[in-house]
Amino acid sequence: MDTAATAPPSPPQPAVADGLEHRLDPRIVRVHRMGGWITTAVTAGPFGVVLIGALLNPDPPVWLKALLTALWAGLSLLLGWWLHRYPALAYDHASYRIDEDVIEIRRGVVFRRVISVPRTRVQHTDVSQGPIERAYGLGTLVIYTAGTEYARVSLSGLEHGRALAIRDHLLPRGGADAV
Amino acid sequence: MPSERRLHPLSILFALGDQLRAFALPAIALFFTAGSKGWGWEVWTLPLLIPSLVAAVLRYVSFRYRYEPGELVIRSGILFRNERHVPYARIQNLDAVQNVLHRLFGVVEVRVETGAGTEPEARMRVLPLSALQEMRAHVFGNRAVEPIVEAAPGETQASTAPAVRTLLHLTPRELAICGLIQNKGGVLLAAGLGLLWEWNVADRMFGWLPIPDWRPELPERLDPDRLEAVGRGALHDAIVAFTGAAGSLPLAILAAALFVLMLLALVRLLSVVWTLVQLYDFRLTRTGEDLRTEYGLLTRVAATVPLRRVQTLTIREGVLHRLFGYTSVRVDSAGGDGGETAANRAWIAPIVRRAALPALVRGVLAGVDVDALDWQPVHPRAFARRLRRSVVLSALVLPAVVGPLGWWALAIFAAAVAWSAVHARHWIAWLGWTGTDHIMAMRSGWLWRQITIAPLTKLQVISTHATPFDRRAGMATLRVDTAGAKDATHRIVVPYLPADTAAGLQAVLTRHAAATEFAW
Repeated sequence: MDTAATAPPSPPQPAVADGLEHRLDPRIVRVHRMGGWITTAVTAGPFGVVLIGALLNPDPPVWLKALLTALWAGLSLLLGWWLHRYPALAYDHASYRIDEDVIEIRRGVVFRRVISVPRTRVQHTDVSQGPIERAYGLGTLVIYTAGTEYARVSLSGLEHGRALAIRDHLLPRGGADAV
Repeated sequence: MPSERRLHPLSILFALGDQLRAFALPAIALFFTAGSKGWGWEVWTLPLLIPSLVAAVLRYVSFRYRYEPGELVIRSGILFRNERHVPYARIQNLDAVQNVLHRLFGVVEVRVETGAGTEPEARMRVLPLSALQEMRAHVFGNRAVEPIVEAAPGETQASTAPAVRTLLHLTPRELAICGLIQNKGGVLLAAGLGLLWEWNVADRMFGWLPIPDWRPELPERLDPDRLEAVGRGALHDAIVAFTGAAGSLPLAILAAALFVLMLLALVRLLSVVWTLVQLYDFRLTRTGEDLRTEYGLLTRVAATVPLRRVQTLTIREGVLHRLFGYTSVRVDSAGGDGGETAANRAWIAPIVRRAALPALVRGVLAGVDVDALDWQPVHPRAFARRLRRSVVLSALVLPAVVGPLGWWALAIFAAAVAWSAVHARHWIAWLGWTGTDHIMAMRSGWLWRQITIAPLTKLQVISTHATPFDRRAGMATLRVDTAGAKDATHRIVVPYLPADTAAGLQAVLTRHAAATEFAW
């Protein structure tokens, strides 16, 4: 472990670069589900208001009102169900692996991708926390490279402390940053 | 503290250039149209120039730059002071642009480009020529850069200056072929016709010709009656021929065909002229560790790309290229983008003899022999997948066209499938990848073929992607991300790879990239 030489005097550092396949923190499913509920509410709400307006209007026939209501309820439920279901699927297909040289991220339910970022190509990193993430103690690691398509690679669903540890691991080894 | 430098006083004039140009066109229009009517209301817009003039003067007065040991410092602004520090190490390119006016006054516009963003980091409009030399010397350090001299290949300069090696020098004949192949004439022709239409200049230019239906009086500009009169002469004849309003039908068709041929020939001719003017005396040299291009008859452009900033090299050739035995090469470097100059800058060889290609590529990427690359094919079932996709897509469109076309739709469907099969066979046959200890390369295309080579030290993120179709067929797409890839760049994306090959390649390429430091 050459990290001991450069790292600040921090006691037992959990081994970040263990080269093992890690799953994300399971709490990320709940975080994404909460986000999904909010999305559902924000999407279905305005349509619901429009629907109530239509129901109060005496002109349209009853069957049309029933159809619209059923449509609204059906689509809202479908959206809600999907946004509830999807985070678990995404969790099942997401993992990451870190060793001395590379961070490798797997994700995607339908379109699967494996993203390898060589450590020497990391320009800088961020650890960010949204409000829901903060409530659960999670963080998102964002890796910036000089690339084009993958100028920004993000990995969400890490325990916040772990995200910070990975960030420290990814900091340039030498001081000589040519960029 | 190093002394501060200023722009050339003519900067005021050149800064006004854009505005002046905006007024120039209406002025020319006036010249052509005013005649006895005298000056129009357009004259009264001239005072609008005054704020621009003030701004230009203030900008000139406030703009200073100086050379610190490790960085270029630029100060500007009167009210909002701005001091920008640009480390020399981050400067990707110093682009110098000289058009006719610049050359007349012995000045040059310099753009300082770094990797960040799409805008030049600093735009110095304009500097004396000597200041450009000074800046190059500072920015590119001890690699002192001499003005490009007429050096015979291999001849060494004075011991202090780095050797200038000419990699490519295009003769007018080669440029003519380049123009013939690339065909930029269409744009020119369209622009020209647009202008002529706009001002009825054509009428004024050809008005004195004894054309039979010439009406002697000059009507008002943009008179509706006049607009239809544009269709005189050849165009008119062609239209008449097409509509069959005059003459016998075979004759009309012959006339129309001739007209179209003439038009095509004219477009090509324009393209040749355009290329000759724009790329006149194109010269690619290697000066120390820099690639430099110089070209242009009216606007002389000199661009420098440090070799270590070359991210990818792409060889592109069409059917005509292969017919004439030529090809073309461009490089993508990390750094500024946008505009025609940036696109041109990337062309290190707008055209080059196929036989001279290996030497040229070696001059940019040492140790790479394009003719000896060991191309690997993609998955054996790639052709079947490609064809199946085309058939399914065609079949989806089929019901929509059956209505209006009836049974002809089936014939078209069959033709589409046949075409897809031909296309897929050639496309898959050319598709391939290869790698050595130093580079990763891929090729693709059919009529237009491209080969892109990236040094392993320039690879950024390596990823594999698999769609549900990929997974069913046991395939995956390998994508290699590099810096400085533009939208039009031929990227290293290899589809239809066997899944295990893709995974293996990803691992190997990642290891190689991780073992080297990336330095822009």
